[in-house]
Amino acid sequence: MIKSLLLIFLFLLIGESLQYFFQLPIAGNIIGMGLIFLALYLKIIQLKDVKPASDFLIKYLVVFFIPYGVGLMVYADVLSQHWIPISVAVIFSTLLCLYLTGLLFQTFHK
Amino acid sequence: MEVFFEQPIFGVTLTILAYYLSGLLKRRFDYILFNRILVSVVIIIIVLLVLNIDFKQYNIGGKYISFFLGPSVVALGVFLYEKLQELKQDLKPFIISVILGGLTGMLSVLGILYLWNSPEILAKSLIAKSVTTPIAIEITKITEGLPEITAGIVIITGILGNAIGAPFLRKLGITSPLAIGTALGTSAHGIGTARAFEISTSSGVYSGLAMCFNGLVTALLAPYILQWLLT
Repeated sequence: MIKSLLLIFLFLLIGESLQYFFQLPIAGNIIGMGLIFLALYLKIIQLKDVKPASDFLIKYLVVFFIPYGVGLMVYADVLSQHWIPISVAVIFSTLLCLYLTGLLFQTFHK
Repeated sequence: MEVFFEQPIFGVTLTILAYYLSGLLKRRFDYILFNRILVSVVIIIIVLLVLNIDFKQYNIGGKYISFFLGPSVVALGVFLYEKLQELKQDLKPFIISVILGGLTGMLSVLGILYLWNSPEILAKSLIAKSVTTPIAIEITKITEGLPEITAGIVIITGILGNAIGAPFLRKLGITSPLAIGTALGTSAHGIGTARAFEISTSSGVYSGLAMCFNGLVTALLAPYILQWLLT
């Protein structure tokens, strides 16, 4: 467990450092996600070395963003002021995205 | 008493307690729209309002919890690698549909907000609405929107996709479980993926992969799309 946690933190640290030093327009943890994928793909690290911590983090993923959800209370006024365009945009774009993705996949998947 | 609530252990314990309670409640009231994150958030907000505690005070402890979003996103890369082998010959249609579907999602949100003359901050906060919450929060930090609004809208988008996604697609003639899975993961991230797993395991795996892949695509494109449209 501790080795896999170390590897995950290490890749996060590398991602954050690259973002910081090169001022990249993409978050450090997303760079870390890409790098750990590449490292696994190129067999630099093995799946069993990262799997224990990775499975744990994914299992409790939803817990980690609860504080951001609570932060919504600070912006309740912004939401209540603009709830109509927000609702229309969210509903319309979610349905459009669903339909187009499904249609394209079903069409090309033969 | 004020200072007492500023100890990190208060926010940490309250968050875990709320999540635990949401699990107990889910066992009693298991509706489609019962979402543990939403219920946890509501429980915490009620506690804070009743005890008259600021979000800032709560978040002194809350930060210790949200810190783990960073490593969790890295863990999604491990998940992506592990499940990618199951795609095999479907890789090409998968990549095309997720990229075009994700792109359409982003552009349509921006289009509607623009037509409504909404403030720019909303476009910046909503462009990542279909992406899994930890990635969406990071995207919003880069686009200089409000991550808290993103988190809330992402959860609502997920619940919407979870509740109506599959019947909506079937009505429009999209019946393949793999296509429904890919569509749910692209548009409604992890909450949509939970629904796809109820259809079939392979539908769920495709949904999970689509969630990770669309997260990457959106992270790479969103800052440029905003820069291009807002200048």
